[in-house]
Amino acid sequence: TMNDRKTIDLEQGWEFMQKGITKLKNILEGLPETQFSSEDYMMLYTTIYNMCTQKPPHDYSQQLYDKYRESFEDYITTTVLPSLREKHDEFMLRELVKRWANHKVMVRWLSRFFHYLDRYFIARRSLPALHEVGLTCFRDLVYQELNAKVRDAVISLIDQEREGEQIDRALLKNVLDIFVEIGMGQMDHYENDFEASMLKDTAAYYSRKASNWILEDSCPDYMQKAEDCLKREKERVSHYLHSTSEPKLLEKVQNELLSVYANQLLEKEHSGCHALLRDDKVEDLSRMYRLFSKIPKGLDPVAHIFKQHVTSEGTALVKQAEDAASNKKAEKKDVVGMQEQVFVRKVIELHDKYLAYVNDCFMNHTLFHKALKEAFEVFCNKGVAGSSSAELLATFCDNILKKGGSEKLSDEAIEETLEKVVKLLAYISDKDLFAEFYRKKLARRLLFDKSANDDHERSILTKLKQQCGGQFTSKMEGMVTDLTLARENQTNFEEYLSNNPNANPGIDLTVTVLTTGFWPSYKSFDLNLPAEMVRCVEVFREFYQSKTKHRKLTWIYSLGTCNINGKFEPKTMELIVTTYQASTLLLFNASDRLSYQEIVSQLNLSDDDVVRLLHSLSCAKYKILNKEPNTKTISPTDHFSFNEKFTDKMRRIKIPLPPVDEKKKVIEDVDKDRRYAIDASIVRIMKSRKVLGHQQLVMECVEQLGRMFKPDFKAIKKRIEDLITRDYLERDKDNPNLFRYLA
Amino acid sequence: MKKEDTVKLISAEGFEFVVDKNAAMVSQTIRNMLTSPGSFAETQHREVTFPEISTTILEKICQYFYWSLQFASGKETEFHIEPELTLELMMAANYLHT
Repeated sequence: TMNDRKTIDLEQGWEFMQKGITKLKNILEGLPETQFSSEDYMMLYTTIYNMCTQKPPHDYSQQLYDKYRESFEDYITTTVLPSLREKHDEFMLRELVKRWANHKVMVRWLSRFFHYLDRYFIARRSLPALHEVGLTCFRDLVYQELNAKVRDAVISLIDQEREGEQIDRALLKNVLDIFVEIGMGQMDHYENDFEASMLKDTAAYYSRKASNWILEDSCPDYMQKAEDCLKREKERVSHYLHSTSEPKLLEKVQNELLSVYANQLLEKEHSGCHALLRDDKVEDLSRMYRLFSKIPKGLDPVAHIFKQHVTSEGTALVKQAEDAASNKKAEKKDVVGMQEQVFVRKVIELHDKYLAYVNDCFMNHTLFHKALKEAFEVFCNKGVAGSSSAELLATFCDNILKKGGSEKLSDEAIEETLEKVVKLLAYISDKDLFAEFYRKKLARRLLFDKSANDDHERSILTKLKQQCGGQFTSKMEGMVTDLTLARENQTNFEEYLSNNPNANPGIDLTVTVLTTGFWPSYKSFDLNLPAEMVRCVEVFREFYQSKTKHRKLTWIYSLGTCNINGKFEPKTMELIVTTYQASTLLLFNASDRLSYQEIVSQLNLSDDDVVRLLHSLSCAKYKILNKEPNTKTISPTDHFSFNEKFTDKMRRIKIPLPPVDEKKKVIEDVDKDRRYAIDASIVRIMKSRKVLGHQQLVMECVEQLGRMFKPDFKAIKKRIEDLITRDYLERDKDNPNLFRYLA
Repeated sequence: MKKEDTVKLISAEGFEFVVDKNAAMVSQTIRNMLTSPGSFAETQHREVTFPEISTTILEKICQYFYWSLQFASGKETEFHIEPELTLELMMAANYLHT
């Protein structure tokens, strides 16, 4: 039994153990040996167990612990190290891998035999465990001596592989695993004894390559090489390096290949960023993005060049349009012509093109969205031939939405174009100006029945609302709704007429009632209406009074149309004219011949209006009136008479009256509205802040109003002064740049 | 039970106890031996002789192995130890790291 055990003497016991250890070494060296039986195992274990559980002084734990370590030291110094020292390079690496594997096996076996020491002894004396002792021996004797040599051999193989040679990747993996395992949980040996040098060598390697390539290669070729190198280095990590090396390795390569030469690459004369953009090399630009996005601040210069490029392309378009416009005839100067429309279309195409670049090549990155936006803001705010971009855009919309404008395009194409136009609006700083022009043209389309498609009209308003807010489109929507209501109203009017035979206007009358607030302001002139029409106005007024009590009707004759029969000698024809034109023609029912002055006084209109009217009736395509003398322009000394001989192959013709140029008025109206808006903004700001400095006030004002327009600093200053005189604000007594709100 | 799933534990007097491998591995010492790297032939694993453990103790230990497995899988019963066996049992347990 255990109690009766014979005491084992240290030397005796050790001699027995030594036999087992030798057997193990032989097995590892590949010498002929029998396997360990379970009996062998238990005997060895038991020997250690007994020697450690004997009563003192035969408790040999400490000695056995030391002999355990000595076994390794011994074996390593006599056998392992010599075999390693005599080999070099790849052979040395192979030997090392083999010896390490063997060592691990030896540690495992011996620590099992000596296992009892791990249970109590090491804890009691705070000593390292057997497993650790074993590995430490290898580290202190083998690793310590050889790691530098090993490192250099490995790096040399890596460089060979970089040059295209085949190397034994499994071998490298096994060697590097040693660096990791020898750390026993820590990565410091791997990092300090291998990785640091490997990174340094990598940097030097790529620095040499880059300095050659940058001189010889074009930008796209260089980038391709860089991308390939990065790919291969990444693969290298997965093949044999430790995964933690990946970010550090790639960073080194990126630094040497890209960061160092970033500017030279981008600015290469015939193949750099500018050239790639110019030549639409989307593949290369995508690669550029991929590579430069990895280095710190790498994309900033690329985005900058992109912005420059787009700006110059846009500015070239502006110049093109300007040149084309200046070649036109002087008389057509105020009308926004074909060239300007072409310009808008080209701007849209430019935007489409480079937005695709931002989405595809530049992966939707905010830097590039920003660059695109800033580029467009630069040239989109340049007008062409005296027309602001706001006006150009509004005219462009008008052309699409009016009859005869874009009938050849499909509904989807029109929707798409409208969508793009609204997007462009985002770049225009004078959005309120656009709104006013748009409103004016919308009014014209609605009132003269020139709108091609109601759905498109509503659709663009929805898009504008989404982009610019409900306030932007509320009036326009009101206008569209007014027309629907007007139609209803007309039905009621016709019913009223059929129920009241006394209320007979004598002519077919259609009235469109508009809500003043929604529509652009129109001057109403005191036109002397022909008698026939006076009756109409009265009849309608009675009808309207019967329906609503508290509303006042103001008649805008300049917007009316009239169908009038002209009894010409050859044949009677129906003429479609404006109310003004009709009033002029009806004068000739009473007189055969009238002078310019007579017409002016009878109509009670301004000279400008009368000149336009008479020109449209006597000097244009259809000569309803004869003019003496028969010149091309109207002068105050002319005389007019009814042209009985007039005829045309059609039964019914429309005599156009060219519209007055609204541009000046629009700009005036917008300026006025801006003054109010600035006032309101200043008061709002001051009311909430109470006291504010001049700079700050101006800044906040600009920010608040920025969605609609860019307020002028001088204008703001003027409005502040005005508000001071109206006692909304006061200046601080001590500091003239400080303002106070007066409640 | 399949031959590969069992281990034969032999006492000092030569009594053979055939136990389930999993049960035997409750002993860390036996477990270490059975899971040592490589050089054991399959057949060698099957028998382990304990020249210093008596039959009575070894039997008790085998019982303990099975009880331990049952306890681990949720069956909360008591393991009774006869007082006179205690000292020897503890020493064997120490040896077997159980």
